[in-house]
Amino acid sequence: MSQVPGLRRARQLTASVLPIRAADGDPSLIAGRLRKLDAAGSTGMLPFSGGGDGAIYFRDGKVIYAESDRTPGPAASTYQAYADGLPPLGRIMAIRAVTEPIIDAALELFTAQVRQAKFRPARLPDVALSSGIGVETLLAEIGRRQRLMKQLSAVLTPETVVSRNPHLRSDSVRISAGQWALLIRVTHGSTPRNLAWELGRSVFCTVVDVYRLLVLRLLLAAGQVPENGLAVMSFVRAASLKKGDTMPVIDARTAAEDAL
Amino acid sequence: MILNEAEAVLDPVADIDGFLLCCLVDASTGMILASRKDQDDISMPTAAAGAAEIANVLSLLAGELPMDGLEDVMVTFRSQLYVIRLMSEDPDPNILLLVILDRTRANLALARREIRNFCVNFAA
Repeated sequence: MSQVPGLRRARQLTASVLPIRAADGDPSLIAGRLRKLDAAGSTGMLPFSGGGDGAIYFRDGKVIYAESDRTPGPAASTYQAYADGLPPLGRIMAIRAVTEPIIDAALELFTAQVRQAKFRPARLPDVALSSGIGVETLLAEIGRRQRLMKQLSAVLTPETVVSRNPHLRSDSVRISAGQWALLIRVTHGSTPRNLAWELGRSVFCTVVDVYRLLVLRLLLAAGQVPENGLAVMSFVRAASLKKGDTMPVIDARTAAEDAL
Repeated sequence: MILNEAEAVLDPVADIDGFLLCCLVDASTGMILASRKDQDDISMPTAAAGAAEIANVLSLLAGELPMDGLEDVMVTFRSQLYVIRLMSEDPDPNILLLVILDRTRANLALARREIRNFCVNFAA
């Protein structure tokens, strides 16, 4: 993937972090820092290290690229498609193919206990978005994804080992080509994160797809007992929850007992 | 809205009579890709999330029953009409268009036709 040289550079930069800045892995501090960079119309790179190396790149206060060594970057073919004259849907899909890994990397940097280093001028990656993502938009999307991951966490995380259900015939179930590609790659010890790397897809998308395959009983998660504790993923709840609200995990057995 | 560059492509949808809001949603992640809005009362993220969940549930249903793929969904509220349309027949990518219309000003049949034409041109 293309982010390796950039990450090496980020690692070098974060090695020089002052002690007073070394423990600022709090997501709210990171969000505050991004807002300041937005307000200042900054251009350059904010490196991270600790729970995972990475960096967020800005141009004129907008986020144009983000990378993490724990998430796959955009596929090389994406950039060519992005530049070519495509119909509107194709163009949006090409832009999305660049945007999704950027948001995935930013989500990882917010979720892992990373430390920020000093923001500094940097050569911007060639793969960056031509018109960047607003910081507030990015933070809102990261917040939404974190709430979805929290919903799923009772059953599934990026590090949960999954396996194919040996008792089901997958040829009797209609699933998308993307889900099928994921399903056939599941081997002993597979996790959503290593499946994401294998497929070159975002970790978040892979977690959501693995969850859908769990619901279809095509996959099984280690330690999961679906009848007793089924965490329900809801985009609506993730979109509408206010800060501080808790995410209920629905226990099918308890709910049935309550109903009686 | 993530893709600022994509906002202009939704101009034709904003011309539909009774238009209140529209957005392109990545149904696999629930992320809003592009949007246009004439009214602030409606929570775009919640509406988009609901549309993605409706499409996902109905796609699941279509996978279990002998039906050809899902084409569009119309939801009627007392004051609004929701039209959800998949942007392509291929479920990968799973992009949908949500259009919310003012029920007192919109003609559902005409709106549905305009939305269908928009989607055909969009993918061509």
